[in-house]
Amino acid sequence: MSDSEALVKVDNLVVRFPINDNRHRAYIRPVDQVSFEIKAGEVLALVGESGSGKSTIGKALLRILEPSEGTIVVGDKDITHIRRRELVEYRKLAQMIFQDPFGSLNPVKTIEQHLAFPIRKHRLVSSDSTSKLINELLERVGLTPVEETRLKFPHELSGGQRQRVAIARALAVNPKFLVADEPISMLDVSIRAGILRLMTQLREDFNLAFLYITHDLASARYFGNRIMVLYGGRIMETATSSDLIRKPLHPYTRLLLAATPGSSVKGALPETSNKPPNLMEGRTGCPFADRCPHVASVCREQVPELLEFSPGHMVACHFTNQLA
Amino acid sequence: MNENTPVLEIKDLSVSYQTATGSVEAVRSVDLTLYPEEIIGLVGESGSGKSTMAFAVMRLLKGDAMVTGGSIKVLGKDIYSLNNKELKEFRWDQLAMVFQSAMSALNPVMTVEKQIFDTILSHRPQMSRQELQQRAEELLDMVRIDRKHLKSYPHELSGGMRQRIVIAIAIALHPKIVIMDEPTTALDVVVQRSILDQIKEIQKTEKFSILFISHDFSLVAEMASRVAIMYAGRIVEMTDSRTLMLGEKHHPYTDGLLRAIPQLTAENVVIEGIAGNPPDLRSLPSGCSFHPRCNLAMDQCKIQVPVPHAQSIGFIECHLYSEEGSHV
Repeated sequence: MSDSEALVKVDNLVVRFPINDNRHRAYIRPVDQVSFEIKAGEVLALVGESGSGKSTIGKALLRILEPSEGTIVVGDKDITHIRRRELVEYRKLAQMIFQDPFGSLNPVKTIEQHLAFPIRKHRLVSSDSTSKLINELLERVGLTPVEETRLKFPHELSGGQRQRVAIARALAVNPKFLVADEPISMLDVSIRAGILRLMTQLREDFNLAFLYITHDLASARYFGNRIMVLYGGRIMETATSSDLIRKPLHPYTRLLLAATPGSSVKGALPETSNKPPNLMEGRTGCPFADRCPHVASVCREQVPELLEFSPGHMVACHFTNQLA
Repeated sequence: MNENTPVLEIKDLSVSYQTATGSVEAVRSVDLTLYPEEIIGLVGESGSGKSTMAFAVMRLLKGDAMVTGGSIKVLGKDIYSLNNKELKEFRWDQLAMVFQSAMSALNPVMTVEKQIFDTILSHRPQMSRQELQQRAEELLDMVRIDRKHLKSYPHELSGGMRQRIVIAIAIALHPKIVIMDEPTTALDVVVQRSILDQIKEIQKTEKFSILFISHDFSLVAEMASRVAIMYAGRIVEMTDSRTLMLGEKHHPYTDGLLRAIPQLTAENVVIEGIAGNPPDLRSLPSGCSFHPRCNLAMDQCKIQVPVPHAQSIGFIECHLYSEEGSHV
């Protein structure tokens, strides 16, 4: 596959969850008709507030969740509804790094055991070479001296070191695509840069594609080639990182930028309420309408389509041209 | 009280935790002064001692932790000389705190109203039902929550609303000082920003001082006038928030932190973390406790503990500045 072709293709992805609404079965849609592509070696940063559906998208891509509608194609294989053997096989291609390095490692297993598991499970190398591969992986993520690290338990490592173990474990199967769900948000400030730099290095060395899930626009800009802004389960805006930060078009992106510490926007926030978005199935109009300062009647009736405003810059707003 | 009488004066404060392997000093001879209507930011990584210091000021240290030296004066009174009754009256009336986790700061089986009433009644038992109701409504207006939520339980509110209620309870008795320990860390950026804006607004009308604890530089720079940077139990730098950017004179640790965060607006930035990990407080490095991670470390740093050197504003505790600034 050439570099310019998409490695991950998501088309009209919908995830719905049943909820009990006054004893009637109802559904919410945390992810609603989301389509995007990620090229090999590309980092797509997925930005949104809690409840926007960003982690749900990440889980659907790894098939921890099964999508309700739409298709996900990774490589040239449709993985939307695969099961058992095929699913195990798929995990060699795609892996996940979780937010909490304290919860994602088993406290009673050594680092060596953590890394040996995926290698054995997928029978990647002969058992004699397993040990060599573990050493290589630990060196790769900067956990040296290797011999010492191998025998340690997670509690003997700091948060940043644990996250490096989680990354090494994800790399063990030699994947092409990683979903990183807020990998630095639980780490100390002085440690975060190291993890971001490591992931950047890995992307270059292995031509890895990333879905980088975060709520922090600054790190999204640093690590992401493109940024996709999510609100209420729908894509509001997608653009290259610098375009999105310099020329935000969607009112929600503008609100996010204004609220980020260190932004140059001072004064009142451009929002009209702080109501959370309605995720119920059957809602009408733009999910951001209740908070949008530019709202008009069309916004409550009709869902805005995600349209290309300039090359590579997509916006879902009825008033993109007026706001630009 | 005059403008220059500090509301909070921490002198030479040390706090230790007793552990199975010996005592661990989490706060080491720290001085800090907070003036009326001032906001000071306290920045540090986890384990740097910032929350321990806040708990010491509230006299909330429990179990294995205890103050081993120094004094804390709030409004001129040494809070460790107060007896239990005096402390109970003093705390919350003069000195309140907003904790990081709003869910655990609120009682899940009590309505918002009841929790506000309880707080006020424990200090003003003579207050009438009508006055209470009026004050509770006032407080909710102040933090911009609809009055109907007085009857709500915490689980019926969103994270941001809960934190607003916690702030309302903290200022219920018109305290002179409010300590805020990472008040917005668990919240989304938009909610965070609107709560911070509200805190600033309320602080101006109610005229209290804030000790604002956070790990986020850019946030503290927007909130506070002065910023204290803590590392391994010491305040290693005290500076004006306007000078908190790369290129100004800073402690190497501060510079490291500033270089570690990607900037939203800067073009093509290269970020670099600080090598190594925060030190184990049980076995602190000799000399300057930052020297193993410092790329400017000199021989002297391994041997001699640096002393604070005065700068135009505040001080820096580093041997690099020993030539110019005089000893404070």
